[in-house]
Amino acid sequence: MVRLNRVLFKDTVISFNKSILDMLVCPLSKQPLRFCEETNSLISDTIGVSFPIVDGIPCLIPQDGKIIETDDTLNSGKGEASSSPVAEQSKEKTSDS
Amino acid sequence: MYEMRAAKAASAEWRRIFHIHKNTFCTEIGGQQNPKLKIFDRHLKRQQRDRAAWLMSSKDTLVDAVAENLIDRLEDCKKSFPTALCMGGSGEAVRRLLNGRGGIEKLTMMDMSFDMLRTCRDAEKTLPETTVETSYIVGDEEYLPLQERSMDLVISCLGLHWTNDLLGAMIQSRLALKPDGLFLGAILGGETLKELRIACTVAHMEREGGISPRLSPLAQVRDAGNLLTRAGFSLPGVDVDEYTVRYKSALELIEHLRSMGETNALSQTTRTLKRETALAAAAIYESMFGADDGTIPATFQVIFMTGWREHSSQQKAKQRGSATVSFADLQKQFGG
Repeated sequence: MVRLNRVLFKDTVISFNKSILDMLVCPLSKQPLRFCEETNSLISDTIGVSFPIVDGIPCLIPQDGKIIETDDTLNSGKGEASSSPVAEQSKEKTSDS
Repeated sequence: MYEMRAAKAASAEWRRIFHIHKNTFCTEIGGQQNPKLKIFDRHLKRQQRDRAAWLMSSKDTLVDAVAENLIDRLEDCKKSFPTALCMGGSGEAVRRLLNGRGGIEKLTMMDMSFDMLRTCRDAEKTLPETTVETSYIVGDEEYLPLQERSMDLVISCLGLHWTNDLLGAMIQSRLALKPDGLFLGAILGGETLKELRIACTVAHMEREGGISPRLSPLAQVRDAGNLLTRAGFSLPGVDVDEYTVRYKSALELIEHLRSMGETNALSQTTRTLKRETALAAAAIYESMFGADDGTIPATFQVIFMTGWREHSSQQKAKQRGSATVSFADLQKQFGG
């Protein structure tokens, strides 16, 4: 028999505690992460992936990461975290490396 | 500079993987860079742990006993551990039973499942006021997102036996430790649920004429010591404890496993167990192992592993030929 014994209550928005940022690194490249205020995510600049922060808890699992579209705005320190499903774009990038 | 170039090359590879294998696990590289053996389906394990977060009872005798045993080892050390990491498994029990042991000030709870962490965070509000500052991150033990040399203590209570690459996870834990940092791990050993294994195999053979693995492969005690040494820990220590839990029926055992998040997550298994086979397994279990009062026992063998990150202050074997006392002298001393 399954008995639910948890009380569901609506949390107030819990913000991310920045003091742990110096302990955290990207799970794939092991390089430091950058906190991006507008998208509320942690950005790994070396591999261009952003990890979301949900309810104040950062999700640093590789499959949760989203590719950041590399455009000029990335150079100014603000990234646009949007997933790009275009396969041609990925082929272009591999030819660069 | 070399690191930047290597990271860029690796990054291009990862981006390609993210694009092409969008909905698949990033370790499924298709046999290119790391053909890792995928015994366990980590994505399924994550979902099972999400479910377990809701089914979990606030007091589970088995999990509490293991966590208590693990945390007790902190009392054996004179050292205090200000920064600690608690990885997966029964992290909630560890947090609840900590009671200020080990001198922990900053605790980071890491788990694959978001719901599990949320449950921990809610449970923390009911704990008596402590001086421990807890932070939560969602992370995978195989891809540890922690800075090198940042932790004094790494605890993993019943979580590492679901990793595909146990050695890799332990190596990453060691790297996250500061010099003279401690690693405490508890994993389920090979004797665990041997009664269930036997009952399932017999039922399967009777009903379906073949055997399919129903229990995950578990580490043997002799392997644990090897693992610690290969991961590079110094002063390794392994010990084993067997817990026998009694249940009223086989169904209760399965429910308990579900609430701990320990149900089957093998990649190779056909997910659904046929109804007749399941009933047959329950009946065989009760007839083969049932006690006189109708309860059935289940064995849980827990292997406790301890290891330290190397530090100059730790004792080491002296060099050969540097002895200053001979055995003959010792014999004279003790009147042998």
